[in-house]
Amino acid sequence: MVINKKIKRTMLESKSQYFGSLALIVISCLLFTLFNLLSNNLANLTSTFEKNYVQEDATFKTNKKLNNITDLETKFEMKIEEGSSFDYAASNTKVLRVFNENTKINIPAIIKGEALTNHAILIDPAYAKANDLKIGDNLKIYDLNFKLSGFMSLPNYIYPLKTEGDILTDPNNFGIAVINKTDFSAINEGNSFYSIKFDGDKNALESKFSGFKEYLKSENVTILNWMDATSNPRITYVTMKLSGINQVSSSMPVAILVLTCILTGVVMWRMLKRESAIIGTLYALGYKKVQIQNHYLRYPLVIALIGGLFGTLLGAFTLRPMINVMVAYFNMPVDFVSYNIKYIVISILLPVIFLIAAGYFVVSKALKSSPLELMRGGKAINKVGFLEKNLKLDKLKFSTKFKIREQLRSIPRSAFLLLGVILATMLLLLGFAAKSSLDSLTKGGFEEAFKYNYIYVFNAIQKGSPSKGEPFSELPFTLTSDNKSSIAVYGVSPNSQYVTFKDKSGRKISSDKIIITRPLADKLRAKPQDTMKVISKLDSKEYSIIIDSIAESYVGNYIYLPLSKFNSMLNFPSGSYMGIWSTERLDIPENKLLTTVTKEDIKNAFKAMTAPIQTTVGTMALMSFLIGLIVIYVVTSMIIEENKENISLMKVLGYRKKEIYSMILNSSIFLIVLGYILGVPLLLVSLSGMFKSLTKEMSISLPITISYSYLVIGFVIIYITFEVSKALSKKKINRISMHEVLKSRLE
Amino acid sequence: MFLKVENLTKSYQTGEVSTQVLKGVRMILDKQEIGVILGPSGSGKSTLLNIIGGIDRCDSGLVAVEGIEVTELSDNKLTDYRRDKIGFIFQFYNLIPHLTVGENIEVASNISKFPLQIDKVLDAVGMKDKKHRFPKELSGGEQQRVSIARAVVKNPKLLLCDEPTGALDFTTSRDILKLLQTINKDFGTTILMITHNTAISAMANRVFRVRNGEIVESLINRTIVPAEGIEW
Repeated sequence: MVINKKIKRTMLESKSQYFGSLALIVISCLLFTLFNLLSNNLANLTSTFEKNYVQEDATFKTNKKLNNITDLETKFEMKIEEGSSFDYAASNTKVLRVFNENTKINIPAIIKGEALTNHAILIDPAYAKANDLKIGDNLKIYDLNFKLSGFMSLPNYIYPLKTEGDILTDPNNFGIAVINKTDFSAINEGNSFYSIKFDGDKNALESKFSGFKEYLKSENVTILNWMDATSNPRITYVTMKLSGINQVSSSMPVAILVLTCILTGVVMWRMLKRESAIIGTLYALGYKKVQIQNHYLRYPLVIALIGGLFGTLLGAFTLRPMINVMVAYFNMPVDFVSYNIKYIVISILLPVIFLIAAGYFVVSKALKSSPLELMRGGKAINKVGFLEKNLKLDKLKFSTKFKIREQLRSIPRSAFLLLGVILATMLLLLGFAAKSSLDSLTKGGFEEAFKYNYIYVFNAIQKGSPSKGEPFSELPFTLTSDNKSSIAVYGVSPNSQYVTFKDKSGRKISSDKIIITRPLADKLRAKPQDTMKVISKLDSKEYSIIIDSIAESYVGNYIYLPLSKFNSMLNFPSGSYMGIWSTERLDIPENKLLTTVTKEDIKNAFKAMTAPIQTTVGTMALMSFLIGLIVIYVVTSMIIEENKENISLMKVLGYRKKEIYSMILNSSIFLIVLGYILGVPLLLVSLSGMFKSLTKEMSISLPITISYSYLVIGFVIIYITFEVSKALSKKKINRISMHEVLKSRLE
Repeated sequence: MFLKVENLTKSYQTGEVSTQVLKGVRMILDKQEIGVILGPSGSGKSTLLNIIGGIDRCDSGLVAVEGIEVTELSDNKLTDYRRDKIGFIFQFYNLIPHLTVGENIEVASNISKFPLQIDKVLDAVGMKDKKHRFPKELSGGEQQRVSIARAVVKNPKLLLCDEPTGALDFTTSRDILKLLQTINKDFGTTILMITHNTAISAMANRVFRVRNGEIVESLINRTIVPAEGIEW
């Protein structure tokens, strides 16, 4: 049809509106494609890595060496491999955890470089990058010189956390390395542990674990420490991240697409109104309704197809760099990148379906009028809107009245602006809220609760009073109701100097009570005086514990018992303990210790934790700035176009430029402020929901909050976006001639 | 002399073609007079009115209102001139659709240094009871009354009317002309009106006939006919 020739011309006439829709579709398809492909690839990479490099089912430490490994492997249909590791202090703050090379379970995957030989070392790429280490560099570990032969990943350290209690990795200060067994023996440092992998499916793992533990017990082997792969954050955080990506990939693009639909609907409606005489003429000339409908549906189709294709391509192109970013956090070999056609097709079709549906609705409604009505400029609507009619604005300043009326004039346009600002606000504050919440978690979770600077854990039970520090004990447990959960039970000295908790009302809780931490209470929905049932991971026995108080400490599923109660409950000798908390460094021989953790380590981990959030805050701010700018600019352009004659009239009446800018461009300020105000609680609620679902399997209860300073910064950014869009629109106002009003036939 | 126009020329460029719209126009109008410019379409009468009103620039010549040389004013001064001295009435009313009658008048009073009371002006144009109505709820004649009220509320020295009755029926047109005559008397406003209805010239003090960009006839009426006596 010849009338289709005007599609391009019409779009170029109202560039800002069509390009605004196009830009929103591009962003939404980019996010959809990128996040879905990313999640798909990460899931593939994880499962391939787990399978090819034999990820452990569990790891444990015992009080004595297992000698009959081959028999055990046959008896329990599994693989067992003894591993060893030690923490080498590369500097005051940097720790390199060195493992000996496994050959059956947790086999190192070489990402780059060569396999291990004597005096060669493989390290994880994130630590290498953060510390500027290159293949071929020399490293000294104790007295031995090593050549960096390559970079590797370990299946049990996909997310290389220093301790299981950490949330984010700190590649500056912590890394993992592998050397061969000969070199490891030559260094003569470290502790042994065992990794196991059962043959067959993973379904009956729990009963297999229990059977195995029972057997060890019967052989008089005490398990000092046990960690299932399902409770190991170094393995499970990838799953959590995948679920986070899935949430983003399903919600964000759809939210932006809904926004685009409203925008396209508004643009289409305005175009049909403007072209009503043309439509009426086409009708009169004999064009059929379906032909006219087809013509006008081509507008959203063109926008959706161009935007969809471009956004999908951009998403596909950014996949590889994004995977590289992800593997800097999750250390896995990337053998191949897959471009799942399903997501590419959906990404292209989704905007087409959404926009055609919105377009069809608008076009059908407009074409209900008769040709004559259309030729006369559409059905005359002489009814004044309920809101417009009943709003009593007499007492307000004229400029305020004008601005309010301007917003009431087009409810869909105002709704689009409001939703756009809410979305931009939520995106912008997402990063800020995450940072605020982590700050509050650091303060409440660590600085106020734990007063020690060093944690020493012995490799055997100690008796008597320590000369310095405060004794404590710690054992891993699981919940009877959820055997995948991992909790730690601590025995604490009465009136502890080193661990002090507060309850919800801020009152200090005495350490002679049985205290559980907030994440555990939330998980169990437990309150004081409730009885909880737990199973020891070491002997698989069940214990009942009555809760006295809940501590507002946000990290870790922990139970704190008085040390005497801990010993009597678990049949440990009276007065015995497993570790010492201390404010000063203690001189304890290395061979007596299982682990040593300093508060500095925890602080570093938290510092590192907030570092990637700064990047997130920046990225989110940029993205929300873009979305906000597009939405506000497009709405401002619409307002200017709708007010062309009014602006011209104002110029004729003698309004100065500044006065016109203020009346027309500032008319949206109410909605900008309202959008921001509504965006804040919406963000907190959705972030809280999102975080709860993400941390369901984790031992964290993040108190979602946002500091006032970030709220102010967020508003300033949104306001700057508004000012930028106003500045861009001023030219449009200046271009409107005073003759416009003379040509027009308003009302 | 309230309004003086001398040797006014104006041409428009359309591609390669230049069209001279005004060719040395001369005219004068005294304070509190009503002037009517008559002429067919394309004769240059609207261009003349636009230049006098400060919404267009001339190529050469002079326009002076109350001694102010409008043709010499900068853009900012020209805005002030329109703001303080001029009131406009258009053929198609040009009311702002989403503002009520009262608010449409406030559009003008809002920027005026010494505005008249809105209710007083609405009373004068017979629209006081429709202050809270929206333009789409009014007839054409009522909308033009609002448009007149909007022009008058600034208490302008010169009221420029571009075919104020062009879109109205006879009875309504006569009511509007009556209203303009009342405003001229009650507020002392000088009025310059464009029309191609020769009958209207009977109510003017001075009549200017324009053809092909020139004033071909300039008359002074000795007898002014009240608007209600005009027939066409």
